[in-house]
Amino acid sequence: MDFLRTMAIAASGLRAQAGRMRVISENIANADSTPARPDADPYRRKLLSFTSEFDREIAARTVGIGRVRPDTSDFRLKYEPGHPAADQNGNVKYPNVNSMVEMTDMREAQRSYEANVNLITATRRMLQRTIDILKA
Amino acid sequence: MGIADIPIFSMLRTRMEWHQSRQKVLAENVANADTAGYRPRDLVAPNFERETQRPVIGVSLSTTEGGHIAAGATDRAPFRSRAGGYEVRPTGNAVSLEEQMMKVAANQMDFQAATSLYTHSLNLIKTALGRR
Repeated sequence: MDFLRTMAIAASGLRAQAGRMRVISENIANADSTPARPDADPYRRKLLSFTSEFDREIAARTVGIGRVRPDTSDFRLKYEPGHPAADQNGNVKYPNVNSMVEMTDMREAQRSYEANVNLITATRRMLQRTIDILKA
Repeated sequence: MGIADIPIFSMLRTRMEWHQSRQKVLAENVANADTAGYRPRDLVAPNFERETQRPVIGVSLSTTEGGHIAAGATDRAPFRSRAGGYEVRPTGNAVSLEEQMMKVAANQMDFQAATSLYTHSLNLIKTALGRR
């Protein structure tokens, strides 16, 4: 039944976008997680990649969550001499999380999620129309 | 001879199967809307002009009198797909969500048209049978 497969594909998209949301929320929540000691590193931003995988059972390319990798860009330095994690110059390492980037990423995830939901709704309606033939 | 062998029904069924397959392809495109390097695909619409003029191939009942309706086994090849997408993002992904949503809506409406036609054709047969 192709319609049920369609829904399975869209569901894989929902799952992937939800996983992306999880990583984004993790980044946003830890946007200000400073280290406890001057020589330690703060929270490092996480990056998630999607992989397209061929599902043999439904004979279609569904989407899956690839590896979650750390963002290797530099940490933000802030001058806060009184901070317990400040180095000799009074700088504190803040996570390399940019809330603006996370926000746009979040909107994109939301948009993709909605698109997948839309597809499920449309498919359900089509399935309903097929069943309606029986009632005629 | 089954109802499904009547030309209009077989054509509508092909059309509905095509919409079903297309919905699946569109779902793949939308699900992979953020996968790096993914190129969207679409299905080529079945050509009924050829279908209506084509002689029935395969094993079929012979029509020896004018009142006979031709019935045959028609094994169709799967629908052809074609690559789509002209707007490629830096990640190599060419899925445009707006375009896909338009296609989903169009697919759904056309499918509804096909099912309505199917229902009406069924009603025609019921009328002929005097069951209405």
